[in-house]
Amino acid sequence: MAFLRNTSKFFLTGIFILSGFLVFNSAKAQDGKALFNANCASCHKMDAKLTGPALLGVEERWKGNRKNLHAWILNSGGFLKTGDAYANNLYKEYNQVQMTAFAGTLDDKQIDAILDYIKVWKPAVAVVPTGGGGEGESKDGSLLFGIITLILAIVAFTLMQVNSNLKKLSDDKEGIPAAEPVPFWRNKAYIAFVTVVLFLIGGYYTTKGAIGLGRHRDYQPEQPIFYSHKVHAGINQINCQYCHIGVYQGKQATIPSVNICMNCHMAINEYKGEQLYNAEGEEVSGTAEIQKLYKKAHYTPGKPWDASKAEPIEWVRIHNLPDHVYFNHSQHVVAGKVQCQTCHGEITAMGEVKQFADLSMGWCINCHRETKVQFKENGFYSIYEKFHEDLKNGKIDSTKGITVEKIGGTECQKCHY
Amino acid sequence: MKKLSIIAILSAGAFIVSCSDVKRKPSNVYMPDMAYSRAYESYAERDSLVFTTDESQSDAKIFYNNKPVAGTIARGEELPFPIAKDATGDTVNYVASKAVKSPLDSIGNKDLAEAERLYLINCGICHGKNLDGNGPLWKDGSGPYPAAPKNLIADPIVSVMPEGQMFYSVTYGKNLMGSYASQLSRKQRWMVIRYIKTKQAEAKKPAAETAAK
Repeated sequence: MAFLRNTSKFFLTGIFILSGFLVFNSAKAQDGKALFNANCASCHKMDAKLTGPALLGVEERWKGNRKNLHAWILNSGGFLKTGDAYANNLYKEYNQVQMTAFAGTLDDKQIDAILDYIKVWKPAVAVVPTGGGGEGESKDGSLLFGIITLILAIVAFTLMQVNSNLKKLSDDKEGIPAAEPVPFWRNKAYIAFVTVVLFLIGGYYTTKGAIGLGRHRDYQPEQPIFYSHKVHAGINQINCQYCHIGVYQGKQATIPSVNICMNCHMAINEYKGEQLYNAEGEEVSGTAEIQKLYKKAHYTPGKPWDASKAEPIEWVRIHNLPDHVYFNHSQHVVAGKVQCQTCHGEITAMGEVKQFADLSMGWCINCHRETKVQFKENGFYSIYEKFHEDLKNGKIDSTKGITVEKIGGTECQKCHY
Repeated sequence: MKKLSIIAILSAGAFIVSCSDVKRKPSNVYMPDMAYSRAYESYAERDSLVFTTDESQSDAKIFYNNKPVAGTIARGEELPFPIAKDATGDTVNYVASKAVKSPLDSIGNKDLAEAERLYLINCGICHGKNLDGNGPLWKDGSGPYPAAPKNLIADPIVSVMPEGQMFYSVTYGKNLMGSYASQLSRKQRWMVIRYIKTKQAEAKKPAAETAAK
């Protein structure tokens, strides 16, 4: 017992001393961390290559020679001229990109603090992304309802048969001569009923098919690279216009070229977010999809990228209006101040994009009838002097405002010419 | 016979259930010659038997590569940047770009608001809406971007960088930052840089005032 108590005491003191040491060390490293993040992190990571090498174990690689390391950090160009073999090889390995000289920005003490921080740095415990819930079984009850209807129909049919049998039995008992039994497929009432039902079902599907001609609502083609709008525009909050630059300037919203992808993906070469699923509910590897981009861009991580070698990615266009309709994005987005989501749906929640609206003429006209234009403080509508006047002296109810229809938004030749 | 019909009904049912409701193909079109353009629309693939992007073949086929004719300048656009991109391992032009002056005289409030809009769309995603280098892609190191974006206000190098050199970096890219020449016109790039310079001056002013007191 005494022995146990002794060992536990020994352990306790040990832990106490150790933790004190750690606290002291981490206080010093805190300083180094701030300095590292402010000065080094743009080009260096601890455990991966960026513009410059991974810094973990940098002192071992420099053979513990802090003096040389200081000289290198303060003025790498000057140090290269001393002919140090390791430094010159490093310079060549990293595509002859010279490291920023930190003379005047960092002093020796601060560099020591950064180097100490690199020594004690530990990778953050990887947070396992809690399964972001796949598509799962859709809670569509139509199948269930269909089965129930079928069962009920069978029950009703059986009951009718039972009813007629019972009637026949009772008729036999009472001595009423039974009429010749007519089988149900020759019964005129049954035939008429089935004909009407078939006519209704057939008519419904024919009409639906005819209306649906040329409308591609819910069209969700498979793209050459699985690009998730949910990850980019939703989780990472990239503005729509970062990639679709034309939306403010012209007819087309424009599909981004490879170099716009590469603005970020030159550095981001792996996907670490929640599990991705395609529309069929199958798992998709984000990192593998980024590799597909690199293949198209002819880019090898760590090497300088020559944008002129890139091949265009053949994205499949989803939203397509017929040739006889004119639609202009900038008119709607700049003058009309319409949100992207009004026509494209909750794009920030779509893994794979599908067409949200049916883009039919009725749909366009409806919106033009209901939508109020932002009439005030909008230079685009300044020429409608009569409307401005009427708004001012109350001839037009300012709460109702001016709809798109009022300024000619439902005229044929606005869109068809 | 009865057995056969039961099997047929069951397999038809299984087929209907197994059908995916993901619509991978577009619907049919009524009168395709009115729906699909006969002219070449944006993003339509050009017939390689008729068109070429290779200038040396321009005698045999129609040469077209979507690029503006060399030496032309769009209306309202600024003059081209006089300095070319450095060759690998060279920094001569990068240093020389310090001397280039911005063609914008002074920027009005309206243009400044537009420049802010452009900054927030194109730059804020990394450099942060407060220009503090902490945009949604970095998020104190927890975002997906592996490198820390420059703090445009506090960084000792960027906060005193001349406009010409910033233009060089935005146009040709620098280290991990890519080129923004395809997203922002020359005028827009100069406007965004002026916006950053205005913000940097604002940040320095209060510090100088407190120091004076």
